Amino acid sequence: MIWMIVLPFVGSAIAALLPTNARNAEAWLAGVVTLVTLILASASYPAVAAGDAIRSNIEWIPSLGLNLSLRMDGFAWLFATMISGIGFLVVLYARYYMSPEDPVPRFFSFFLAFMGAMLGVVLSGNLILLVVFWELTSVFSFLLIGYWHHNANARDGARMALTITGIGGLGLLAGVLLIGHIVGSYDLDRVLASGDLIRSHDLYVPAIVLILLGTLTKSAQFPFHFWLPNAMAAPTPVSAYLHSATMVKAGVFLMARLWPVLSGSTEWFWILGFCGMMSLALGAYFAIFQQDIKGLLAYSTISHLGLITLLLSLGSPLGAVAAIFHMVNHATFKASLFMAAGIIDHECGTRDIRRLSGLFRFMPITATLAMVASAAMAGVPLLNGFLSKEMFFAEAIETHAISVLDTAAPYVAVLASAFAVTYSIRFIHGVFFGPLPTDVPSVAPHEPPFLMRFPILLLVVACLLVGTIPALTIGPFLHTAVTSVLGARTPEYSLAIWHGFNLPLLMSIVALIAGVILYLLLKDYLSRCEEGPPFFRRLKGQRIFERFMVTVSWRWARFVDYRLGARRLQPQLRLLVTVAFVAALWPLYSRGFTPGRFTLTGADPVFAGVWVLGIVCALGAAYQAKFHRLAALILLSGAGLVTCITFVWLSAPDLAVTQLLVEIVTTVLILLGLRWLPKRVQDGPTIASAVPGARLRRFRDLAIAVSVGVGVTLIAYAVMTRTPPPTIADYFLEKAYSEGGGRNVVNVILVDFRAFDTFGEITVLAIVALTVFALLRRFRPAPDSVDSPEQQRIQTAFDEAQPDRETGETIIDYLMIPAVIMQWLFPVIIMFAAYLFFRGHDLPGGGFAAGIAMAAAFILQYMAAGTRWVEDRLRVLPVRWIGLGLLLAAFTGAGSWLFGYPFLTSHSRYVDLPLIGDMPLASAIFFDLGVFSLVVGATVLMLIALAHQSIRRHRVARTIAAADEETA
Amino acid sequence: MSHTTDLPAWVALIVAFLLVLGSGLTLLGAIGLVRFQSFYERVHAPTLGTTWGAGAILIASIICFSVLQSRPVLHEVLITIFVVVTTPVTLMLLARAALYRDRTEGTPGVPQFEAAGEPGAERPGTSD
Repeated sequence: MIWMIVLPFVGSAIAALLPTNARNAEAWLAGVVTLVTLILASASYPAVAAGDAIRSNIEWIPSLGLNLSLRMDGFAWLFATMISGIGFLVVLYARYYMSPEDPVPRFFSFFLAFMGAMLGVVLSGNLILLVVFWELTSVFSFLLIGYWHHNANARDGARMALTITGIGGLGLLAGVLLIGHIVGSYDLDRVLASGDLIRSHDLYVPAIVLILLGTLTKSAQFPFHFWLPNAMAAPTPVSAYLHSATMVKAGVFLMARLWPVLSGSTEWFWILGFCGMMSLALGAYFAIFQQDIKGLLAYSTISHLGLITLLLSLGSPLGAVAAIFHMVNHATFKASLFMAAGIIDHECGTRDIRRLSGLFRFMPITATLAMVASAAMAGVPLLNGFLSKEMFFAEAIETHAISVLDTAAPYVAVLASAFAVTYSIRFIHGVFFGPLPTDVPSVAPHEPPFLMRFPILLLVVACLLVGTIPALTIGPFLHTAVTSVLGARTPEYSLAIWHGFNLPLLMSIVALIAGVILYLLLKDYLSRCEEGPPFFRRLKGQRIFERFMVTVSWRWARFVDYRLGARRLQPQLRLLVTVAFVAALWPLYSRGFTPGRFTLTGADPVFAGVWVLGIVCALGAAYQAKFHRLAALILLSGAGLVTCITFVWLSAPDLAVTQLLVEIVTTVLILLGLRWLPKRVQDGPTIASAVPGARLRRFRDLAIAVSVGVGVTLIAYAVMTRTPPPTIADYFLEKAYSEGGGRNVVNVILVDFRAFDTFGEITVLAIVALTVFALLRRFRPAPDSVDSPEQQRIQTAFDEAQPDRETGETIIDYLMIPAVIMQWLFPVIIMFAAYLFFRGHDLPGGGFAAGIAMAAAFILQYMAAGTRWVEDRLRVLPVRWIGLGLLLAAFTGAGSWLFGYPFLTSHSRYVDLPLIGDMPLASAIFFDLGVFSLVVGATVLMLIALAHQSIRRHRVARTIAAADEETA
Repeated sequence: MSHTTDLPAWVALIVAFLLVLGSGLTLLGAIGLVRFQSFYERVHAPTLGTTWGAGAILIASIICFSVLQSRPVLHEVLITIFVVVTTPVTLMLLARAALYRDRTEGTPGVPQFEAAGEPGAERPGTSD
């Protein structure tokens, strides 16, 4: 059974790999896959018919109750057969329908994947799995509807279908989770067995509302119906498949599937009854006034699905039988009608009923087939549509729950049936009869090839057979399906054509006659009128949807962006700091805050002196930050150095090494960035006095800064004056060597004990680097720092003025000796990085520090010789370094799976290397190598982003200069 | 970390002398940096710290740890090499930048650009 799902996906993958022009190979592949699936389905019938469901279970995440469990009972079998059978016919049809210019492999690939997803929905034995496949059908239907993506209608239709069904899918997931919560299991068998529990639970109403949101959107029921007509921009085989047997049927399938569990309550009846009735009546009414054949069929589909929904809402077993029966009938006649519409479109080049007429003379066979199919759609006796419609009428008359809805049901049913007759006649009469077409793009429409007609023929024959001898054809299968859904509640029902002269028959006759009369009355109006039904012409679901989408995704987004976002950094920082302050203050206030006692004993005067220096540096940096950025930066690095000394002092050499390297690299990178900041506004004080709020604002900012600073100081003080409880640190100190195989505890924690955290951190680092790169790529500096620096300009001008000098020679002269030294230092620093890296596991160092050191080597090269020179000689591909680092770290982690250990377990041993000696070699070293590679990549990426700024500015300046010359 | 008691007295004396010498020279250099008036004078002062200042401390370190560990400890030689290689470069860059700035601003007492000469052609001032 698993093959029925796997096979289409495999076929899809193969189809995707085939060359674009392999039209026949594609069709063969898809045909064989669908046929094999059909055979697999058919072969399992005896087992299913025996009464018990076939199950197959593959463990997936048993701890979460998630298993890959499949379950096929009679109902699922009926659907699986329908999906694969109609799938096969559609493949056959599509082979002739699709034009050789279209990228056919893509079509068949999506088609097969969609079929697989659909089979997954019907065969799932686990609700979560069902939702997964459900979402897959949404995704693949999106791809199929948008197949002709050069067409704006197709794109819009696909997007709308995805949005609506996607929202529904989300609702369904939530509903299923609720059901799982109520029942305690997602297993379908258990869920189906606990109907009473679910119905009596408090969460019943939210659960059904959410689940019905999913099913109603999927089945295009009112008020979510509008995506379906827009999805008609898809190729016709797609419409024939999605909107007859599969996509929209998934919704009613799930409702029928869960019917025994969820139905029978007032809420269920009201929601479904209302939506179903509205869809039934409005769909049929809208269908009459469509000018596009496919539009007509789409609204008719909505109407028929409304009928099924209405039947399911009643909560009576007979209604469920009628619903299941109508699902099958609708699939057969609607698929054939869509295919017929496709043939007409294919042969005539248009689907507009106003332009088409008299096609009977050109394609009598297709016309006859279409006539029979639409008669089935209209519910004419001796066809399958009639049978299920009779059952529907019988159910509509019955009183199930005394309410307005129930009273209205028979009248709405007759009205909608009359409409159905009208639009069926309109389709047939408008297209196939009347005068010869005058306004058709194609000159000589003719019959399509036999094999293109064959699927329609087969389906129409099925309609006829089921309609005339139902008990012999569909009877046993339907019975299996119904029994599997209803179980012991299976009612007595009869599939006979003739039940005697009773009320349902009378209703059918009334509907038929009324429909014909209505058509005769409307005929002239319809041939002239514009698109869309009267009274509702202005009320377009699509328009409402688009307006809604614009509101949500544009207006609200802009509002939120305007309210919460800020173009300037200062308000953002203010917001961030204030929120952080409040967030820290709140728990302290509610839980109480008692700092410890302050003592001066044990304070080392030298250490205190160092700290005084650091404090002075930090304060100076803050004081100078506004007008003397360079001074501020130098003071800042002074504070950083004090931090380094502190680490050394408190015996944390590892941190000190890292801090020192980070300090160096950040200082240099910020120095490189300083040049792009706007220059100081000279008339600063006047602005402050001119804007009234400016002074106030500064005081407020000062107050925020001071209070946050004091707050952090207090917290730090309170933490440090407390005797620490026994922490996890002791554990790490103890186990670092025995379990991690390293004496450098910090490094062992990073690459072994807490390697998963490190993995997350380096991922964040990679993201940050890419973000910095992206931001700097689009960076536009302040107008006054666009030009090259003054010195550079003078030097360049000088070089250009001297005939024997090339541009940039002066700067090379200037930097001659430093550049030589810096280039000599390149291998030395790399050596240093390697040294840091290899000693990392036992002594201060490690991948991170080594990576920073390596990056420093690159920075030095860029500074010494300029971006162009370096990149001519040395291709640094930082993104690859980043990617390599991530992959290496991930693979090292996954490597431990091979030995049956959890992710990122490390193994360590000592290896005796020649020349170097005894060397600790833990598998964690590869993880560390990943960290190293990523850090190098991230840092160099930022460096390159900064370095390319200056090159790009040159280029811009030059093009402007060139433009000036041209104009002059 | 404190093993000063293990150190023989004569070694301790030498080490202490070198340390005082080195830090004293560095201190002198720092005072000079503050006291001197022009940039070009100031450039000279810190060199006391980077030459004999650092040198004496490094030698002290070599002696101290070689005696303590009873084997030659020569890591400090590397530090010496790097300090010797990089410090002049730094000072040279600084001096050139200062000279360039003074010339463009026309500060008195600084040799001007040659009329048709190049900006920064004055090799002698900063050659090494």
